[in-house]
Amino acid sequence: MSETTQAIDSPQKIAKNPKKSQNPQSRRSIVEFLGSMNLAVTLLVMLAIASVIGTVLKQDQAVQDYIIKFGPFWAEVFRDLGLFHVYGAAWFILVLLFLLVSTATCVTRNTPGFLKEMKQYSENLSINAIKHQPLTTEFDLAMPQPQAVQKIGETLTAYGYKFKQKVHQDGTLVFAGLKGQWNRLGYLLTHISIIIICIGALFDSNLLLKYRELTGQLAPETRPIPLNQIPKKSWVGKDNFSFRGSINIPEGQSADVLFLPYEEGFLVQKLPFKIKVKDFRIEFYDTGMPKSFESDIVLTAPELDKPIEKTISVNHPLIYKNYAIYQSSFGDGGTKLKIKVYPLLSPKVNPIEINTAVDQVEPLKTPVGTFKAEFNDFKLFNVVPASEEEKKKTGKKMHNNGPTIIFKVRDEQGQAWEYENYMQPTLQEGRWFYMTGVRTVPSEPFRYLFIPADEHKSKQRFFEFLALLNNPQQVEKILRKAFPKSDKISEKDYNLQIKLMQQLVTLFRQKGFDGITDFVQKNVPKDQQKKVSDFYFGQTSLALQTLYFEFLKQKGRVKPEDTDINDFDKKWFEDALAAINNINHYGPPMYFELESFKQIQSTGLQITKSPGKNIVYFGSALLVLGVFFLFYVRLRRVWVALIPETEETTHVIMAAKDNKNLPETETEFALLAEQIKHTK
Amino acid sequence: MNTATYDPKLDQNRQPKLDFKSPRNLIWSALVLLAALLAWQTYGDLMNTFEKGILTGVTAGLIVLGVLWSRVQILLLAVAGMTYIAFWSYQLHGNDVKVQDQAFFLKFFVSSQTATMWMNVLFIFAMVAYFIALFKQSEFVGKVATFLVWSAVAFGLTGMMVRWRESYLINPDYGHIPLSSLYEVFILFVIVTSLIYLYYEQKMKTKALGGFVMLVVSAAVGFILWYTFDRHANVIQPLVPALKSYWMKIHVPANFIGYGAFSLAAMVGLAYLITDKLAEKNPNSPFVKAMPSLEKMDDLMYKSISLGFAFFTIATILGAMWAAEAWGGYWSWDPKETWALIVWLNYAAWLHVRMTKGWRGRPLAWWALVGLIVTTFAFLGVNMFLSGLHSYGTL
Ligand code: HEM
Repeated sequence: MSETTQAIDSPQKIAKNPKKSQNPQSRRSIVEFLGSMNLAVTLLVMLAIASVIGTVLKQDQAVQDYIIKFGPFWAEVFRDLGLFHVYGAAWFILVLLFLLVSTATCVTRNTPGFLKEMKQYSENLSINAIKHQPLTTEFDLAMPQPQAVQKIGETLTAYGYKFKQKVHQDGTLVFAGLKGQWNRLGYLLTHISIIIICIGALFDSNLLLKYRELTGQLAPETRPIPLNQIPKKSWVGKDNFSFRGSINIPEGQSADVLFLPYEEGFLVQKLPFKIKVKDFRIEFYDTGMPKSFESDIVLTAPELDKPIEKTISVNHPLIYKNYAIYQSSFGDGGTKLKIKVYPLLSPKVNPIEINTAVDQVEPLKTPVGTFKAEFNDFKLFNVVPASEEEKKKTGKKMHNNGPTIIFKVRDEQGQAWEYENYMQPTLQEGRWFYMTGVRTVPSEPFRYLFIPADEHKSKQRFFEFLALLNNPQQVEKILRKAFPKSDKISEKDYNLQIKLMQQLVTLFRQKGFDGITDFVQKNVPKDQQKKVSDFYFGQTSLALQTLYFEFLKQKGRVKPEDTDINDFDKKWFEDALAAINNINHYGPPMYFELESFKQIQSTGLQITKSPGKNIVYFGSALLVLGVFFLFYVRLRRVWVALIPETEETTHVIMAAKDNKNLPETETEFALLAEQIKHTK
Repeated sequence: MNTATYDPKLDQNRQPKLDFKSPRNLIWSALVLLAALLAWQTYGDLMNTFEKGILTGVTAGLIVLGVLWSRVQILLLAVAGMTYIAFWSYQLHGNDVKVQDQAFFLKFFVSSQTATMWMNVLFIFAMVAYFIALFKQSEFVGKVATFLVWSAVAFGLTGMMVRWRESYLINPDYGHIPLSSLYEVFILFVIVTSLIYLYYEQKMKTKALGGFVMLVVSAAVGFILWYTFDRHANVIQPLVPALKSYWMKIHVPANFIGYGAFSLAAMVGLAYLITDKLAEKNPNSPFVKAMPSLEKMDDLMYKSISLGFAFFTIATILGAMWAAEAWGGYWSWDPKETWALIVWLNYAAWLHVRMTKGWRGRPLAWWALVGLIVTTFAFLGVNMFLSGLHSYGTL
């Protein structure tokens, strides 16, 4: 026991049970150790360090991620140390338990002493002992002792002291004053509250599940498999008395299970009720950030006569018995999608239609191989900052680009391309484009292809023009018609020239302008490259322009007598060439058009049963109360000995002791002494 | 109570008595009540039961605070006056938030942006003045320094009040108390730290410590300036759904009393260590003479950490209760929560070695200083380096 916690005459000594001292030495020293300050501070520091590890090292990630980060060796070591799930690790729980035991020991050892100290006035102190207190003073008072006794009693009361009096044989009267006993209660409250909070937290921990796992009754599932295939060993029944898990329920559907994250996998918790989600609503700010989301849920249980209907939202859960149902997230619940897949290498525009939904995988058999399309997500809004001109025009800071689908296309080797396709065109520099983004590495940003919209704001013209370029026979036919053979060249040369143009068009279609440059660099001697390249580019653009002009004529956009095309069609041509130039970087030759959709959202609920919560709250309340008593109430003792000297004078010896060694103690004592000295 | 022997004149240094019956305090109480009623009447529709409860609590709290510490009365009257000018000026211009760049008072004094800038500047001036006062031994400059801190606090509080209003003017959907983003809580931090310091300065006569405390305040001001000019964090953003709760109004201020008090303790620790070092060399140097005694600084450190610990305890518990309501669990080992626990354990250990082992002075001063690093990490580092449920205020 340290000196500051001891009262003057060591109530601890008195409090000590005589039987205890007969206990074997070792028993006592274990208790000593458990209740020692050094252990307590060590445990506090250990807890803090463990917590630091737990926040700096990302917890509960997939094993592979850790192996990538730390290498197989260290990942294994860290895993065995439980560093990837610190807060559930055995040693962490052990530290907590030790803290509990240590605090409990400390409280048990100190309580009798402190309780005694709260009640004890120490009025039996001898004059000599009074003189040896930390603060003392002596003086004479010009009044008879009985009068002094009355007045000083009043002063002590005015200063908030309660006191006891003791009359010695020689007539000396000793006041033993005491105030601020609540301070000791503060110690008890804070330390008992720690124990209570730890017990509450243990109720809410997964100790029961840990026990079952250790005894082989329970095994977490790690594979992403459908509910009905999850083995019984990964299920937890209604007998689990505390849990916290989550479930996604699509609108219109219901669920009576919960997924509990557990180590590297999860467990399935059976619920004693069923939750149906009638509707999910989300509102957005004009920045596109979610403003609020809420679900209309219906809870049915065998014991209920009538189902409970309630709308829950963030910060407004539904409490049913000792279960709490929270709105925690939202997502796509399998939005129905009608998709048109345009083949990008076909000489004809004949898209395949598929009806699918988010979270589904569609096999695609194409002439260029078999693929799988995985539809990952659907977003109704894509809000981006508006351009400066738009801001001026509409006054709005944000702009909605409309719905998108996010999906992956995977080839037979398993390589995947991820796409983000917009359903509606967006305006760029006054022209409308359909944006489609592609990437092969998830951490990279999307690279966008801009498909120009035609006069009907549709992609139709683009796909038709592309089909034309994909059709060498048609290209050759048009070129022959546009450039009839003149008499000046031979049949062979003419054929060669047309063939060259047609092949350049095909090369451009397949590899873009870079393809032509590459071809020249590989096949033409260095000194002639520039000349040939200029010639090829000239021929390519002549051929493309010619094809486009013919194409427009066929569509009736250009009258037979016209020699030029309008500005819109000119710009469109440039944009189309820019898009086609990049199409060879677009992955498998398909474009997915979102034709229509029916949005189905899902709501993410979190459901908890936490019997320890109220225990923890109760402990917390005690803790706050206790902390204030400890800090803002000081246990103060004062002694005033009144020794009758003559009929008219009394000798006064004053002393004081404070359980905290603060500068105020001294000034307060001086003040009280001054007050008593001036007693009239 | 009044006895023949009891002489109140001798009693001036005792704990402050709550004397509600002096004319000044009666007027003060009436004014606070009036302001609360006005707020209730004007904004009552926007408040739910809990928020009305908070308003009631704040009213009572302000009355008590003003009676306990009369200078707060003047501060809050100044804040109320400036806030009124701002509201009135907005009203005059059709409540269009854009007039803050045109209307005279708003542009130069009381729009939230300008008031905050005044606060920043005044804090820096205050630091300089405190140090001049310390080295030149000038009592007058010392008074000016204290006045500058009070003015900075007044401007800071005005800036917060006006920002609160502005958030509604931009878009009623956006409206919220400015305690939600890292930028906003930094302003709260400098205000709270300064107020706690001012309290102890008056009570314990520790003007010489002002410059040291203003070091940490000025560092925070530097952050606010960088955050404003480089990141434009001063732009008012709407709240994410999880933050839309009355809990924010109590959890955040409680937390910042904790952070503020811990920072104050760290700066006192710094002053302690410097003084201690210099006293070793020359106990009679003018600097050592000008500083408060080592015992006084040690005591202030303890008082400040106690205050911080008490409020940090409350704040953490309130945070747990909020988490239980918003995320479905009172404790999730989310990095911010966990770091709050680390901070709390750190100061619990500090208090234990002081109380039960009787440590004093130098080691505790070092510990308080290191504690500031831990606290800063919990406050700022978690948002910068760790992700979690609390990642609202990411840099
Ligand atoms: C997480 C665990 C604990 C917490 C949060 C805690 C908290 C506190 C606090 C806040 C104080 C007040 C310090 C002051 O008055 O300035 C205190 C005092 C004290 N604690 Fe703990 N404590 C804990 C565990 C323990 C343990 C395990 C022991 C036993 C070794 C212990 C023994 C004491 C003692 C003897 C005092 C001094 C009481 C007095 O004389 O006023 N504490 N504790």
